[in-house]
Amino acid sequence: MKAKDIMEPVKETLTPETTLKEAVNSMRVARRGDGRVGVKGMIVLDNGKLAGIISIKDILKAIIPSYMTLTELGEFTWDGMLEQMAKKVADRKVEEIMTRNVITVSEDAPLMECADLVVKHGLHRLPVLDRDKKVVGMVYIRDLYQAIVQALFEKGGKR
Amino acid sequence: MTHEVAAASQPFVMDTTFWTATTIFLISYVVIISEKVHKTVVALFAASLMLVLKILSQYEAFHVEELGVDWNVIFLLIGMMIIINLMRPTGFFEYIAIKSAKAGKGDPMRIMIIFAVVTAVLSALLDNVTTVLLLAPVTLLIADALEVDPIPFLIVEAIASNIGGTATLIGDPPNIMIASKAKLNFMDFIYNLTPIVIVLMVVLLLVIKLVFGRKLKTREELKQRIMQMNEKEAIKDPLMLKKSLFVLGLVLVGFVFHGTLELQPATVALFGAGLLLLLSGTHEPHHVLAEVEWPTIFFFIGLFILVGGVVKVGLIKWMSLKMLALTQGNLLATSMIVMWFSAIASAIVDNIPYVATMNPLIIDMAKQMWPQETGLALLRHPDLMPIWWSLALGACLGGNGSPIGASANVIVVGMAEKAGQKISFMRFVAYGFPIMLLTVFISMIYVWLRYYVLNF
Repeated sequence: MKAKDIMEPVKETLTPETTLKEAVNSMRVARRGDGRVGVKGMIVLDNGKLAGIISIKDILKAIIPSYMTLTELGEFTWDGMLEQMAKKVADRKVEEIMTRNVITVSEDAPLMECADLVVKHGLHRLPVLDRDKKVVGMVYIRDLYQAIVQALFEKGGKR
Repeated sequence: MTHEVAAASQPFVMDTTFWTATTIFLISYVVIISEKVHKTVVALFAASLMLVLKILSQYEAFHVEELGVDWNVIFLLIGMMIIINLMRPTGFFEYIAIKSAKAGKGDPMRIMIIFAVVTAVLSALLDNVTTVLLLAPVTLLIADALEVDPIPFLIVEAIASNIGGTATLIGDPPNIMIASKAKLNFMDFIYNLTPIVIVLMVVLLLVIKLVFGRKLKTREELKQRIMQMNEKEAIKDPLMLKKSLFVLGLVLVGFVFHGTLELQPATVALFGAGLLLLLSGTHEPHHVLAEVEWPTIFFFIGLFILVGGVVKVGLIKWMSLKMLALTQGNLLATSMIVMWFSAIASAIVDNIPYVATMNPLIIDMAKQMWPQETGLALLRHPDLMPIWWSLALGACLGGNGSPIGASANVIVVGMAEKAGQKISFMRFVAYGFPIMLLTVFISMIYVWLRYYVLNF
């Protein structure tokens, strides 16, 4: 099997000018798969071209103040700080906080290549590009795992 | 008292070598100021040109004190950087900062004043960049906790750091450079600069109180956020902290007595660095040594050679003659001109290359004023001392004039920007420039009164 065989279609996307608050809202209402799974990351398209990807981890990173990453100040936070900081950065643009160097695969990439990239880069999702570099779908870590389940217990898995 | 420029008859030729060296010198200073190329790259390349073109021999650059690298400055900086790098992970500085905020009972005005004093004291004992680098993150945290604008706090810290750094030999690079060239010791700085710095700090605190007075306010429940913090949690490595404080204490005692003990400041700092490395029990000194700010160190090295080149060809002497012609050998006028010119120059450009150029210039001027004196008698001529102090005060305090005037300012502005709080050039100038004028004006009165009226 290849990436295009297990990928899911991408229904919602963001633009670089979207605010963080709007992005969070899009993620909150978006559904994938059979419609019951929530979305924890979205791709950012600039005039149809892949500009970046944003995940809940990127949003957490944007909310943690830079001075905390510079020093060991974790013990000196207070109840309500996370909420306070979230409100403070709500109007920042997606382009300021998204991951720009997106790891992608081509439609014809074998699943092993996908699995390797997911593990090497600690990813949860891989945008799939066609020959014109357009996003045609997304391979999720869950779908890769599903392929393993199938291999072991369904078709060829039976001994 | 006029010293008619008899020494001017001493020949130096404005030949090809002279103009080549002068051109290299001027172009590199222009490029450094323009910030188009990193200053360290400019200084090292220009220095290598001085050697390749045989304006300066390698021997002169490496081994002759008047022309080459001042290893005393280099190793004093490296030694102190190693000590700080070993000390930083212990959490000592975070501890001090949180403790200070709690001492201010969570009141923004009090915290600003306490932080200004703490910054000044730490800057006097360590370098300014380290001090603000360690205190600014905690400042941003505290401003968020109190929901107040962090920018005034950060600017006040940069200013306090530049003023505090003026107080001691090790406080600010200009002082380290002046001390090494003029053979001044730690206690000379304590006697001559610390008193005026204390006055300037009192003035700064009054200005802070006047400007921010009741404007800085927070709510009672927000103060509790600060009061609930437990500063002891900042300490990550109590044993290493004890070792660090022991060595730092030993080093400071060493500085106080280095004149009497006939040990150079660099020796004291290197001993501290070596001892703390040993006590830390590290098997992997790589990262501690890698964290030494090598770009700064190599900037100094390049600069010393670059300036050495123009000293050798006589450009600096020519400049000193012009200066003597301007002041007619009047010492008070020289002090005042040196102080104000240094302040303005240091607000606009990096004070390190400025002082690197001024040091030999002042020595050349002294040679012409007192041709019969040599060595220590010349460098520490009683009439020359106020000029050294004027240079130190002007170059250090001038750094407050603009956001690019001192390294501490650059750090603070950069850190604020990363935290999403942009400090505009003019906003810094609005605080810094008046403070610079005020502090230099007070210093001018001090130098005039102490050295030219009361004579002590």
